[in-house]
Amino acid sequence: MGIPHLPRRSFLTAVSAGAVLVTAAPMLAACGGDGSGSDGKVTIEWMNIATAEPSQSLFPKIAKAYEAQHPNVRIKATSLENDAFKSKMTALVASGDLPDIYVTWGGGVLKQQIDAGLVKDLTSDGSELLGTVTDVAKKSYQFDGKTYAVPYDMGMVGFWYNKKHFEKAGISGPPKTWAEFIDAVRKLKDAGIAPLALGGKDKWPGHFYWAYLSMRIGGTAAMEQAAKSSDFSGPAFVQAGEKLKELADLQPFQKGYQNAGFDTPGGQAASMGSGKTGMSLMGQWAPAVQEDTSGKSLGDDLGWFPFPTVDGGQGRLTDVFGGGNGFAVSKDAPPEAVDFLAFFLNEQNEQELVSSGAVMPVVKGAEGALTDKNRKMVAEALGASTGFQLYLDQQFPPAVGQEVNDSVASLIAGKKSPQQVAQSVTEVAKDQ
Amino acid sequence: MSRQAIARSLSRHTLVWVLGSFIVVPLLYAVLSGLKSTGALTANPIGLPDEWKFSNYTGILSSGAFWQQIGNSVMIAVGTTLITVAVSSMAAFAFARYAFRGREIFFTAFAAGLMFPPAVAVLPLFVLLRSLGLLDNPLGVILPQAAFALPITIIILRSFFRTIPAELEEAAIMDGCTRFGFFWRILLPMARPALGTVSVLAIVTSWNNFFLPLLVLADEKWHTIPVGIQQYQGQYSTDYALVLAYIVLAMIPALLFYAVAERQLIGGLTAGATKG
Amino acid sequence: MTLSATTDDRPRHAARAPRKRGPEASAGTRLRGWLASTWFLVPALLLFSCFVLIPILLAFFTSFYKWGGFGFPDDFIGLDNFRNLAGDEVFRGDLWRGFLLVVLSLVVQLPLALGTAVLLNQRMRGRAVYRAIFFAPYILSEVIAGVLFGIILLPGSGLADTLIEDLPLLGGLAGKWFSDPDTALPTLIAVMTWKYFGFHMMIYLAGLQGIPKEILEAASIDGAGAWRRFRSVTLPLLAPTLRISVFLSVIGSIQLFDLVWVTTTGGPTHSTETMAVTMYEFGFKRYQMGYASAISVAMFLISMVFSLLYQRFALRRDLQGAVTSAGGRR
Repeated sequence: MGIPHLPRRSFLTAVSAGAVLVTAAPMLAACGGDGSGSDGKVTIEWMNIATAEPSQSLFPKIAKAYEAQHPNVRIKATSLENDAFKSKMTALVASGDLPDIYVTWGGGVLKQQIDAGLVKDLTSDGSELLGTVTDVAKKSYQFDGKTYAVPYDMGMVGFWYNKKHFEKAGISGPPKTWAEFIDAVRKLKDAGIAPLALGGKDKWPGHFYWAYLSMRIGGTAAMEQAAKSSDFSGPAFVQAGEKLKELADLQPFQKGYQNAGFDTPGGQAASMGSGKTGMSLMGQWAPAVQEDTSGKSLGDDLGWFPFPTVDGGQGRLTDVFGGGNGFAVSKDAPPEAVDFLAFFLNEQNEQELVSSGAVMPVVKGAEGALTDKNRKMVAEALGASTGFQLYLDQQFPPAVGQEVNDSVASLIAGKKSPQQVAQSVTEVAKDQ
Repeated sequence: MSRQAIARSLSRHTLVWVLGSFIVVPLLYAVLSGLKSTGALTANPIGLPDEWKFSNYTGILSSGAFWQQIGNSVMIAVGTTLITVAVSSMAAFAFARYAFRGREIFFTAFAAGLMFPPAVAVLPLFVLLRSLGLLDNPLGVILPQAAFALPITIIILRSFFRTIPAELEEAAIMDGCTRFGFFWRILLPMARPALGTVSVLAIVTSWNNFFLPLLVLADEKWHTIPVGIQQYQGQYSTDYALVLAYIVLAMIPALLFYAVAERQLIGGLTAGATKG
Repeated sequence: MTLSATTDDRPRHAARAPRKRGPEASAGTRLRGWLASTWFLVPALLLFSCFVLIPILLAFFTSFYKWGGFGFPDDFIGLDNFRNLAGDEVFRGDLWRGFLLVVLSLVVQLPLALGTAVLLNQRMRGRAVYRAIFFAPYILSEVIAGVLFGIILLPGSGLADTLIEDLPLLGGLAGKWFSDPDTALPTLIAVMTWKYFGFHMMIYLAGLQGIPKEILEAASIDGAGAWRRFRSVTLPLLAPTLRISVFLSVIGSIQLFDLVWVTTTGGPTHSTETMAVTMYEFGFKRYQMGYASAISVAMFLISMVFSLLYQRFALRRDLQGAVTSAGGRR
């Protein structure tokens, strides 16, 4: 059989030498350690989710500028797509070794990392920086009076819609109530346009509907009550499920939505951006990702309206659901990490980040940099908000958040009833 | 050839061609699509590219990440294979050639390992490796992979070692050879075909492994090819012509290896089957 | 374990000196003989215990705790995890889907593999090339197959949809594939067939080549037709190989993860979820490590019970020879 005819002795010697080398090499490499290298340089690992323009080029640019000013610091940036980032984070959290700076959305997910002793308390180390940031943006990262992350983006979820399609379907203006919204969905459908874009595979975009509906029906009070008592079986949540089921029964989503991601090919953002769908319920980052994934800009055809109210519900149109993006710093990060974050959010960078459309302003007084009409609307809605609710899959511990996403996905697919959703979320929440 | 025979041969070939096209078309599609821009691919999934975009391939080839992943995969596959083969051949030697108390129990214990798919142990393995500090360390993949490859390797090698006549060992001992000397200088070289077979198996299994490296090697610098592909897909999810180019390039080492080692795989298979 | 490398190196320098030991060991040296034999087993035992046995024991241990994965598990809850598991619809679904996977791959993949093997066992031009092509997908990793088919089956713009859009019967599939809970599992099985049938074909080919030509010729002389020869001679003689291939198929689907993970991550709405995926979800997304361990244990018990029963009732004597040949492919 065709094994190379090395002389026996030398063959075996080569094999054993190879074995020693192969087994020893990684050990030696592992001894190198990380953090500060032997050359006295400090390395900051920076994990972000800037895979779409303009962040994709702005983030590295800022890192380079910082390195230029601080020759002793090297910034090792890793940019991951949202869901890849989440699954990576789960593995990293489980391994107990987080990057020096990483993206967080706060809430119960961050809390769990804090409880595991993995996150740095920035209250005093970052006090100067945190002082420049608006209070509403910081809220999701604060626990027991301490702040654990620096926000760099803040926003809310609402409907992005295609004005041209609305016109074509004969819809007079953005729907203000759920009934009007359902009507708009019907009209779009009749006009041969898929009314809604949804990334069903990612599951989290679907939970926006359920969360918003619960809020519109029960008001922020119902949400707070549920969070406190871990009980989601109240009427607000069941009715929210019923309304969502009513919507799903109209089959309003784009073709193949169940295995589509948010920012994957043919996914939610792409089908919205390429003008195949009428509306998309998404956060402030939607326009940037839509352009990036479809390669097209809807331009002035893109509009925005807040999630409609439900007749008879407690919630107001000005109650806001959403969240921001923040950077948390891991426990063992070098002090330069906080310094870099301060640089990242300095006046010039914030100006550029905001005006390019990468993020919504978080620094006090940076709102002036907003030029885009829609994003101004989002900022104004945020500024005038009467209540705030963080994404449910971040607000609660991962087990609960995942159950919300998962159950709501099943509801949309017609595999779970509204009662079952409320019940299974409650079960998991009570068990925590 | 009679007309009937020709007809039969023809229909046989047609059948194989139909089947074969199901295998080949997806692969061909990947190769061709990797030469298009994503826009062109969406507009025209079938057919030759209007504009041959070699930059997809050359771009990946000139990036350090791809080669690093290849390097990691090679290192991990070689490490796994050497450890598997070294450790298993010793054990198989003892099992095949010596009668000692407890032999059957030990052997059954190893053979029972065949029943346990690695996925069963992945979670506790992760916890274990974390406490051993072997996360983000190639050894954290190499050692478990080698451990899980032991059962099948031992079984194959044992049956091969058994075919070597006992007289040979007696003669060697007479000549002043130690037991280990016989094993090392006579038995192993004789068993090269079997060693080749088990090595090829271990290499292929390691090369394609995804679950364990995904969990253990979170740091990019240790990513193997399968993990790298998944990450790449996440990073360039919208540019899927590029993703296809990436997987085409990732296929090449495996297919080359297959071309070289095909006889090992199939030869080993045939030898084993006739023995049964 | 550097042990193996260094110990392998030693004897050439150190242990060259001849030792006096006859073929029959006397009573006094029996222990030394035992030690000398078992010495060869030490590295294997160490490696196997550390990375196979201990993790499995660890899974048993943590499955009795409610444990988030950090620190030492201290919230002992007895069999609660298993009780919850038994009532968990997703997990029960996993079992059902696992069963479907096995049955469907037996019905689709194995006959196809057997047919191809019989076809390629005959003398025909280009046989080696065909054989190589059919086997090629098996060499490629699950991730490659998954990503490739994920793109081919993209709703709307993918190759598959473009090809079938205008066809009368298949046209209805367009846009579905992995995106519809009803078609996702069959689609997964189709991809698995693409990936694995060549492997089974190869085992069968090896088995077929082991059947002595004389027997078939004798049957032919006795007037048996091709079908009769296949049924009464080839199939029974191929039985051990078939049983092994079934065994591997089942074990393979118990641990199915990679392919599912890169194509659907178990969706839509769990329609392609397997036990391994559920375990990952609970262990690494929800940080319910205790519960995830219980899934590990369940997988372990299921594989063990299946293997034991299968060996007892199906494999029996032909285990040894066939496993050595076929098991190697996995």
